[in-house]
Amino acid sequence: MNGPAYNAWRLTALTSLPAWALVAVGLLLLGALFLTTRGISGEPSRGKRALLTTLRAAACLLVFALVLEPGLELRAETRVRARIALLLDTSKSMRFAAAPAASKGAAPLSRTDEMLRWFASQEPELRALASRFQIDIYGFDKELQPQDAQKLGALAADKSANHTARTDAFASGGSTDLLGGLEAASRAGSGGRPLAGLLLASDGADNAALAEGMNKGAQEQLAHLGAPVFALPIGGAAQKDLSIDRVRVDDFAFVRSPVKLTVRISARGFSRQTVPLTLRREGQIVAAQNVVLDGKSPFTEAELSFIPDRTGKFAFTVSAPVYEGEAIVENNARSFVLNVIRDRVRVLQVVGRPSWDERFLRQLLKKDPNVDLISFFILRTPGDDSHSTQDELSLIPFPTNEIFNEQLRTFDLVIFQNFNHRPYRMSQYLDGIAAYIRDGGAFAMIGGEQSFGAGDYAGSPIEEILPVALPSPADPHVDEQPAQLQLTDAGKRHPVTELLPGAAQNAALWAGLPKLPGLNTIASVRPGAQVLLQSTDGRPVLAVGDAGQGRSLALLTDSSWMWSFVAAGEELGPRAYESFWHAAIRWLVRDPALTPMRLQSERASYEPGEPIQLDAQVRGSDYGASAGAQLSVQLFSGAGGAMQPFAGPTAGADGSATVQIPALPAGAYRAQVIARTPAGAVAGEAEEAFVVAPAGAELEDLSPRPELLEALAKATGGKRISASDSLSSLPFHDPERVEVGQRTTRPLWDTWMVLAALCAVVGAEWLLRRRWGYA
Amino acid sequence: MSDHSHRPSRRQLLFGGLAAACAALLPRRARAFGEPSRLSFALLRHGGRWDVRPEGLPRLSWEVSRRTSIDTSPQVRPLGPADPELFRHPFAVLSSDQAVPMPSEAELAGLRRYLTYGGFLLVDDASATPRGPFENSARALLAAVLPGAQLKAIPREHVLYKSFYLLDAPVGRAAVAPELFGIELGGRLAVVLCGNDLLGALARDPFGSWEFDAAPGGEPQRERAIRLGVNLVMYSMCLDYKEDQVHIPFIMKRRRI
Repeated sequence: MNGPAYNAWRLTALTSLPAWALVAVGLLLLGALFLTTRGISGEPSRGKRALLTTLRAAACLLVFALVLEPGLELRAETRVRARIALLLDTSKSMRFAAAPAASKGAAPLSRTDEMLRWFASQEPELRALASRFQIDIYGFDKELQPQDAQKLGALAADKSANHTARTDAFASGGSTDLLGGLEAASRAGSGGRPLAGLLLASDGADNAALAEGMNKGAQEQLAHLGAPVFALPIGGAAQKDLSIDRVRVDDFAFVRSPVKLTVRISARGFSRQTVPLTLRREGQIVAAQNVVLDGKSPFTEAELSFIPDRTGKFAFTVSAPVYEGEAIVENNARSFVLNVIRDRVRVLQVVGRPSWDERFLRQLLKKDPNVDLISFFILRTPGDDSHSTQDELSLIPFPTNEIFNEQLRTFDLVIFQNFNHRPYRMSQYLDGIAAYIRDGGAFAMIGGEQSFGAGDYAGSPIEEILPVALPSPADPHVDEQPAQLQLTDAGKRHPVTELLPGAAQNAALWAGLPKLPGLNTIASVRPGAQVLLQSTDGRPVLAVGDAGQGRSLALLTDSSWMWSFVAAGEELGPRAYESFWHAAIRWLVRDPALTPMRLQSERASYEPGEPIQLDAQVRGSDYGASAGAQLSVQLFSGAGGAMQPFAGPTAGADGSATVQIPALPAGAYRAQVIARTPAGAVAGEAEEAFVVAPAGAELEDLSPRPELLEALAKATGGKRISASDSLSSLPFHDPERVEVGQRTTRPLWDTWMVLAALCAVVGAEWLLRRRWGYA
Repeated sequence: MSDHSHRPSRRQLLFGGLAAACAALLPRRARAFGEPSRLSFALLRHGGRWDVRPEGLPRLSWEVSRRTSIDTSPQVRPLGPADPELFRHPFAVLSSDQAVPMPSEAELAGLRRYLTYGGFLLVDDASATPRGPFENSARALLAAVLPGAQLKAIPREHVLYKSFYLLDAPVGRAAVAPELFGIELGGRLAVVLCGNDLLGALARDPFGSWEFDAAPGGEPQRERAIRLGVNLVMYSMCLDYKEDQVHIPFIMKRRRI
């Protein structure tokens, strides 16, 4: 049969006898030889003696050989080549520049390109090596993956328009683990080939075991590799680069309270100098700080602080200027999102005269830990005679300018409770108050005999922001018919009048509250406003509405205190009063939990190049679902401010819609979405903020670290190489190994020639012995 | 037969029509929402002599209305402590010149609820006798209404002494008790015990003159008693308003009497 080609042979013994048996046989044969020698020692002829001894020895040998059962082993041997592993860094840090741009305006060469060009230029060297070794090519970042040499060559030579996209796809690893990559490469390889050496091309920006530099444990692991590493640093020597590595800030902050950020800057290649840092909110500078680099240590920390003046979610960017010759430009800015919330609601309560209504409201608000109450009560009017000098009174002048002009915008909610403005010369401030509300403030007017129409507000700017129109001066301002409460349809849905969760129980609770002794009158309800409570004979009691960006509430009675005290006397408890006012305040100041329209980003942070998705739930200000509402989207970027608005989707039957935003460049963004009804009126508004930033530690410290690669190479007995070094001349280990594939044996002793030889020798000896007289 | 004297003349008609038209055009002066919106005192009925100073509270009402912006009603409603109507009058007064019999359990419970949910009670000793029958019975009654609550002396710095007037000492018709005593519930004075017959200083006799002399200070003392009454009412309506930060610098600057 034609077997495989056997290219080597050797002699072997096929006996199955154990070693001691062979030794015993050998000794016996030696003994026989010795006896023969003694037996013929008397023979005078040397030649005869020699011949007989030789024949006897030959016979013994032949017997021994027979016992041994000699054979011929045929082998198919192959020489195994050692292997070299070539590791190419495919982590994201390789996308960045290897060196500053050659000229202004030109794109700098990326590290991936530098690495691929080196690979392409080394093709002849690699072919030369391939004749002696097996070359395995891998890409590594946090894991090892085999690469195809042809594809790499094609990528290196590619000069097409989307070359950058292709190289970015190549360099996409989330982290760099040099030690892990080397260890995996040393263990891999087909058929257990011995490792002759490792070639490593990387920028050295490790973020695993070697993130802080070489250490003892790593050195030991490297020594165990058993082969030298030749490292090629990509990115050259440490270049000039300034980067904002980290920004530490809380996720949320309180409005009107200082916010602190800690910024870590790393600077390589900078001498001692001052770097200005700026913090921008949607294009506007909110804080700036000069940071001094000492030129010695690469890391510096700085603190920035500012005081947010508005609640909401905002996009911020911390940036430093880009200096001449900087290798990487993208890391001079970092963006984040901050959610600014109010800590306490600041309420201004202005009261025309002390009353039980004022007293129970003050008591409720003072007790509430979430409310910071500032009250002003008019304790004496010009018609009152206190029968004393001014010094004997604890009264203070009513500081109208301070509260309605200077401090107005520090309040979250302004309440006028049975307050007529005219005696205090406030007409000059009413415009400002209306503007404050339209800009996002909140206002509540509580009734009484000098409130609403009787407060001289008809025709004033205050009337314009109220949810009701006031009666003309000639009409009666109060209606003294007692009013039993009834929840309207709008009131059944609205969070302000939700005292209890169940609709039926809620309506019953309102209907069971004590009658109000009288109500303020109104001319009409404004379009867009809602009446939530009315008397059983249809007179409005409570109306709410939006005014520009703000909200207002009109409570047309001065006896809501009865929902607390009188209700307690009737064993209903004071909870209705407390729940109502708590809900009213939260709704007025736009507590996020009560917002009708919701906008939620799918994620807080997106990768560059990823599309962004925001989920919207559109409900109108009457809290009913707004089907068919058309959404429009306005984006604000952290660094640049307002961007081009665009049209969004239409809300479905249940008011839900998904806003898709195409990929944006890195930075922080705030999206403001406005929903309009098919008729064109604004149904709702909401905002959300998110960050587009490459995630992960890989991009925190991008600087190349050639010194790390050099230390790594030295620890294994290799060295650092440069791009021009010839690969084939490097001192790789070359443990040649022979591997035996197929083998087969052919026995030699069972050919008839051996037996014939034995017979001939024994026969000859016996003949000669007889001739010469030895029996 | 026509009677010219009964039919109004043309001039009269014209004037009448003009007057009516003017009346219609004049802005209707806003009237209060009726009694419930005005301060109106409740006088607690008890088993003993509960109305010994009938003119005191109406006069206090008048003084408060005259001196401050508070809108008051001169009506005083006598109510039992268990009457739910009591809750329409968050300021109640308990007064007598003799011992007050202990009310029933239901009445104690009603009074307890009244005070806990926000009511204010002025306990006035018409006999002006420290540790006398009235004061002892009143203390026992209060201990039964609010067990566990302590009747403590009200310090001079308390906002009650600066809620409208800046006051130094509590006086009434008499000046025998140097301190007011009070019970605080949740940081608010719910009960004030006055041992100097405050209402006696305000009472007028049927002829319109003061029923009692104020001793030993005379008319200046009466004025100070009226001021204490006003402060009590103002306190019950404004609570600790005068302790808000904005007032403090002004109050510190002024002298107290």
